[in-house]
Amino acid sequence: MPDAATNPEQEVSPARRLDMPLLDRRDLGGEHVRLVLGGPADWVSRPGQFINVRCGPAPQAAAAGQRRPLDYREGGPWPRAAGLELRRRRLPLVRRPMSLSRLRAEADGVRIEVLVRTAGTGTRWLAGRDVGSALDVLGPLGSHFTPPAPDRMAVLVGGGCGTAPLVGLADWLAALGREAVLLVGAATADRLPLALEGRPEATGKRPVPCAVVAESEVRARTILATEDGSAGFAGTAVAAAERYLEREAAGRPVALYGCGPEPMLRSLAALARRREAPCQVSLEEYMGCGIGVCLSCVRKMRDPSSEAGWTYRLTCRDGPVVDAADIIWE
Amino acid sequence: MPEQDIDLAVRVGPIAMKNPVATASGCGGYGEELAPFYDLSRLGAVVTKSITLRPREGHPPPRLVEVRAGMLNAIGLANVGLERFLAEKLPVLSRFDVPVIVNVAGSTLDEYVQVCRALDAADGVAGIEVNVSCPNVDRGGMEFGTEPAALARLVGAVRRQVSRAALLVKLSPNVTDVAEPARAAVDAGADALSLVNTLRGMAIDPWTGRPALANRTGGLSGPAVKPVAVYMVRRVWEQVAGPRSVPVIGLGGIQFPEDVLELLRAGATAVAVGTANFVDPETCVHLVDGLPGALVRLGVARVRDLVGRMETD
Repeated sequence: MPDAATNPEQEVSPARRLDMPLLDRRDLGGEHVRLVLGGPADWVSRPGQFINVRCGPAPQAAAAGQRRPLDYREGGPWPRAAGLELRRRRLPLVRRPMSLSRLRAEADGVRIEVLVRTAGTGTRWLAGRDVGSALDVLGPLGSHFTPPAPDRMAVLVGGGCGTAPLVGLADWLAALGREAVLLVGAATADRLPLALEGRPEATGKRPVPCAVVAESEVRARTILATEDGSAGFAGTAVAAAERYLEREAAGRPVALYGCGPEPMLRSLAALARRREAPCQVSLEEYMGCGIGVCLSCVRKMRDPSSEAGWTYRLTCRDGPVVDAADIIWE
Repeated sequence: MPEQDIDLAVRVGPIAMKNPVATASGCGGYGEELAPFYDLSRLGAVVTKSITLRPREGHPPPRLVEVRAGMLNAIGLANVGLERFLAEKLPVLSRFDVPVIVNVAGSTLDEYVQVCRALDAADGVAGIEVNVSCPNVDRGGMEFGTEPAALARLVGAVRRQVSRAALLVKLSPNVTDVAEPARAAVDAGADALSLVNTLRGMAIDPWTGRPALANRTGGLSGPAVKPVAVYMVRRVWEQVAGPRSVPVIGLGGIQFPEDVLELLRAGATAVAVGTANFVDPETCVHLVDGLPGALVRLGVARVRDLVGRMETD
């Protein structure tokens, strides 16, 4: 019986700004770090949603009226060296969006997990935060994955750190008693954002036990794919998915879910068309505010009601999770 | 002096604002987007996203890029258009106890006229802010705001349509002397001025050679532009607004209560906050909450007594 945390009918929390303590930080090797943040007990979010995180010093004063939305200095008299770059140290202005991975309810609140890829100044700052420090967060934001129709099996396809929300989705589907399989792809074995302890990969040239990279327990059968064949199936995650559908899911109605680099989503959408399967994907766009105000994160989506047949939709508000069939690929 | 005795009320022409803090156009959507974060009635005013006669999709992405101490945007005036604004957005805004200033954009004089006429007739519009940083299609794409003669014609034409709402003109900083368009706007009948809009800027990826924005150029905003805003507000105050008692709304890089004080001293009667909302949607209420303490520290009981008070000896 689904409770509030898992009930698909339960509405997600409205977006708000809040300080979330960093409860755990796990270096996953390579460029990935897994963070666990603490949230209030009434937080309800769903896989596919994201948070927009300030990557800069936490506000200095809690009292309203002293709060500073932006902090460029760390001590020093007026005039401030606001924005001055010293030895290339730069504190980002714009928040960084992070997809939510798993959600867990504890006695004193929730635990949300995010996977951070250290791509630049902001994410490196984030990945280096001390456990116990507070992060300034906007969330939960955006649209989320929804469970498949009762007769369909969920096939989740993740590339790189796109796997993170799908791990959360696998958790949710398991809690709902739904069957799912998760395919995780990367260029090489050491670029896989998570691997499982002691579970051999299914499919592929040879079964290879994975090194322990993260202790996550994905509550779905997992198939690894690497483009160079260094672990699991030799090829892309989508190719592995296609082979899985042909060999092991032949004839079964499926629903596809994708999260990862754009080329992966595009070929997953094509696979969905060929198999006539519904497909939800999580889009990634450079974001400004994350709350539907700045109108920066637009994607062209089909819109039969518009003259041109398309309209711009906001990835932060009308996404990130969208029906792949609506995406206008360019 | 206790904080609760501080008087934050200001008037921008006929618009009575309970405090001098407003959201800037394009940085608060149509108001409802910020509503989850605080009660909009706490603000002095809300300025909407630019409305055009017809809906606009806007520029292709990438539309935004972060730069040092700021950001560049080339959204392209994406908006739902006049009809949907009146039917869907204005009624939502009207539920709050806050003056609504509707920003208007256009590519021809006639478009501005049509939109302003409709807005002035609508209920719930306290002010109409004419965005003149738009390319004038009839003049080869030159911005209305950079040519005082075109600006005067535009403001004059719009002035004839607007009798209920206050008429504000939002000036572009991309000019040699901002006092010129300021004078032209006031001569043509503007009730108030707001400045500055974004500065023309650009970013090129050093490794790929590609412009960061699909539109190539964009508008620079954020903390980096505040000194330009302070200078231009002061220039307009000294040359036009002060002598002719025209209120000014100051914009550009405001983040903290001290920035509000700075713009007021330059000559602004009220301020609008833009980019800071993207970083912290609660910025405006923090400013409203922080102003009384700042004024107590100054020993000034009424915020309107600070307007133009720059010490010069």
